[in-house]
Amino acid sequence: MSDAPPKEKLVMEHLVSLTYEEELTPILERYVDALIDGRIVGHKCPQCGRVYVPGKGYCPLCVVPTGEKDEVEVADTGTVTGFTIITPVAYYGQKETEPFVYASVLLDGANSNLGGQDIVGIPHDQVRSGLRVKAVWKPKEKRSAEGVSNRGWGGVGSAIDAFEPSGEPDMERAKFEEHVF
Amino acid sequence: MAGTSDIAIVGFAQTKSVRAAADGEVQLLVPTVAEALERANLDRREVGFTCAGSCDYLTGGPFAFVQNLEAAGAWPPISESHVEMDGAWALYEAWVRLQHGDIDTALVFGSGKSSPSKPHEVWAQQLDPYFLAPLGVDPVTLAGLQARMLLDAGKATELDFAEVAARSRRAAQDNPNAQVSGDFDVDALLKEPYVRAPLRRHDLPPISDGAVAVVLARGDKARQLAERPAWIRGIDHRIEVHQPGMRDLTTSSSTTLAARKAGYDGGPIDVAELSATFSPQEVILREALGLPAGTNVNPSGGALAANPVMATGLIRIVEVAQRIADGDVNRGLAHATGGQVLQHNMVCVMEGE
Amino acid sequence: MTGRITKSTLEFPYSRTVGPVVGAFLAALGEHRIVGIRTRDGKVLVPPLEYDPNTGDELDELVDVGPGGVVESWTWVAEPTSKHPLQKPFAFALIKPDGADSALVHAVDAGSIDKMSTGMRVTPRWRAESHYFIDDLEAWEPA
Repeated sequence: MSDAPPKEKLVMEHLVSLTYEEELTPILERYVDALIDGRIVGHKCPQCGRVYVPGKGYCPLCVVPTGEKDEVEVADTGTVTGFTIITPVAYYGQKETEPFVYASVLLDGANSNLGGQDIVGIPHDQVRSGLRVKAVWKPKEKRSAEGVSNRGWGGVGSAIDAFEPSGEPDMERAKFEEHVF
Repeated sequence: MAGTSDIAIVGFAQTKSVRAAADGEVQLLVPTVAEALERANLDRREVGFTCAGSCDYLTGGPFAFVQNLEAAGAWPPISESHVEMDGAWALYEAWVRLQHGDIDTALVFGSGKSSPSKPHEVWAQQLDPYFLAPLGVDPVTLAGLQARMLLDAGKATELDFAEVAARSRRAAQDNPNAQVSGDFDVDALLKEPYVRAPLRRHDLPPISDGAVAVVLARGDKARQLAERPAWIRGIDHRIEVHQPGMRDLTTSSSTTLAARKAGYDGGPIDVAELSATFSPQEVILREALGLPAGTNVNPSGGALAANPVMATGLIRIVEVAQRIADGDVNRGLAHATGGQVLQHNMVCVMEGE
Repeated sequence: MTGRITKSTLEFPYSRTVGPVVGAFLAALGEHRIVGIRTRDGKVLVPPLEYDPNTGDELDELVDVGPGGVVESWTWVAEPTSKHPLQKPFAFALIKPDGADSALVHAVDAGSIDKMSTGMRVTPRWRAESHYFIDDLEAWEPA
C-alpha cells in the first residue's frame, strides 16, 4: 500500500510545445511585399467602402469577398486611438524588461486599427488618445515577413519598429472614437 | 436523445479538401457559408442561431474560432455558440436549440486547417495530461494498438483493412470534394511498408484543410426553404472511458447505443457515411451499427479520402443529406467521432419526407 | 510552396497539481514501484484514476502492481517523433502489470519489431534520476 505523497511532491512540470509552419496567404504575400517596399496596403470593401489593413480577403461587416482588385494603399501616418503602458511581469517567454507603450494606431485611410504598436520619442506620461503619429520604418534591408502570420492579427512589426509623434495637432475625439480597439 | 423530429437540413456546402489551402480558414468559410445559405434560400440576417465547430490548436491561432465567426457575419449581433469539436457537435447543439420552438432556422459550420501543424504534436494534447500526453502518444499509435487487437481477436485481417482503403478511394473518384482518390490494387497496397505496424500509409487518413456549412430549419419553414429537406429523425451521441487500456478497443458500444437512441438498431439502410479515420475502424463501426453486408458505406470516400479535422463528421452528415435532397436515397445514417480511437461517437439518422 | 514560410511555436509551461492519486502514482515511480487503485467491485485500475470510470465512485485504495506485466497490444514506431519517449525505433504497447485489471500505454524498448508479440512478458526499466514524470519508468523491456 502506498501513502499519499508529501505536499512538496504534488506538482508535475509539463512543458507543452507546438510548432507551426505555413506559407503566407496570397493576400499577406502582397502585404509583406508592400511593407518591404515601404508601403502599407489593405483591402477596401466594394460594398461599404471600409478599408482593412491588412486585407482579410472579405469584409467582416458585409461578408463579401475582397481581393487584389480591392487593394488600396494607406498612409504611414495615423492617430493613436487607445493605449496602455505595460509594466513587464516576469513569466516564461517574457522578453520585455522596461515599461513600454501598447497602442492602437488608426492609419490615415484605414478603418481598422494596427494593434500593439510602440510609441517612441515621447515620454510615456504624454502619450494620449488623439496623438498624431508617423511610422518609424526599419532600414529597407532589415524589413522581412517575420512576425506576420496567417492567424489574422495583422501586424507591421516586420517592417515598422514603432510610431513617433508627427508634430501635427491632436485629432479630435469624435473622428476616432469608433476605432478605439 | 428523443426530441422533435421535424428539424431538417435544408442547405449545405463544403470545400474541396486539400493538403494545404493557400487561403486562411475564414477565407475558406466565407464562400462555403454563403453557398449553404443560398442553397437554403435564406438571408444570413434571418438565421436564428449560429453554431460552429473548430479547434484553434490546428492553426495555432488563439481565438481563431472568434475570427471564423466573421464568415457568418456577426453584425448586426447574432446569437451564436462554438464547440471545440467537430462541426457535427455544432449541428447537435443547433438541433437542441431549435427544440425550444422560438426560432426556426440555424446555421452550422465546421472547419479545420491541419496543414500548419504537426498532428502528432497537436493531438497528443487531447489525451490524459499525466499518463498519455507526456509520452507523445499520437493518433496513429493508438489506431495501431486498436488495429492489432482486431487482428489478434480474429475479427479482421490486414487484407480487410486494405480493401476498406481501396474501396473508399475508388468511390472517392466520384466525389469532387475528395482529396485522395484512385484505383489502388489491394495486393500492391499490402506490399507497402508499415507506418505504425500493423498500419500502412493507406490505412491512415490524409492531412486535410477544409470547411463545411449546413442550414437547419424546423417544420413548415424547412418545407418552404427546400424542395426535399433531409429530416433528422434521430440524433444522439455517447462517450466512453478515456483511458485506452480501460475499454474494449475492438468494439464501439457508444456507437451502438447512440445509434439505438437515434432510432437505428441495425438492418437495411440506403446509405451510411462513417467517420472511420483509420481503415480498421470501419470494420468496428459496421459491426457496432449492425450494418448488413452490402450496405452502401462511404460512397463519398469517407475520412480516408478527405479528413478536414473538425469538419469530417459534419461532412458525413452533409453527404447523406445531399443524397436525400437529390432523391437518390430515402433513409441514411451519418456517424461522427471525437476523441481518440472511437472514444466519443454520434449517429444521425436522416430521411426524405 | 512558392511564398514566404512563417514559423511559430506555442509553448505552455504547465505546473500541474496532481492530487493524492496521480501524485501517489508518480511518487511510487520514483521509488521504482507501480501503483494502481482498487474499485468497489475489487478490480485494480492502472493507471490509477480518482473515480471509477464506470460507476463514478470516488476511489482511494492504492495497490502495488507489477513489477512485471503482459503486452496486450503493441505497435511499432519505426520513426519516433521528437515527442516520443525513446529516440530509436521502439514499440508503444498496452501493458497490463501483474495484479492489475487494466492496461497502461507505454514504451517497450524491444530493439526490433521481431521481438514484439502480443502476450509477451515485460519488465520495467527505471530512469537513473527521477523527475516526477511518467517516464521515470523509462521503458519496458522484454522479460
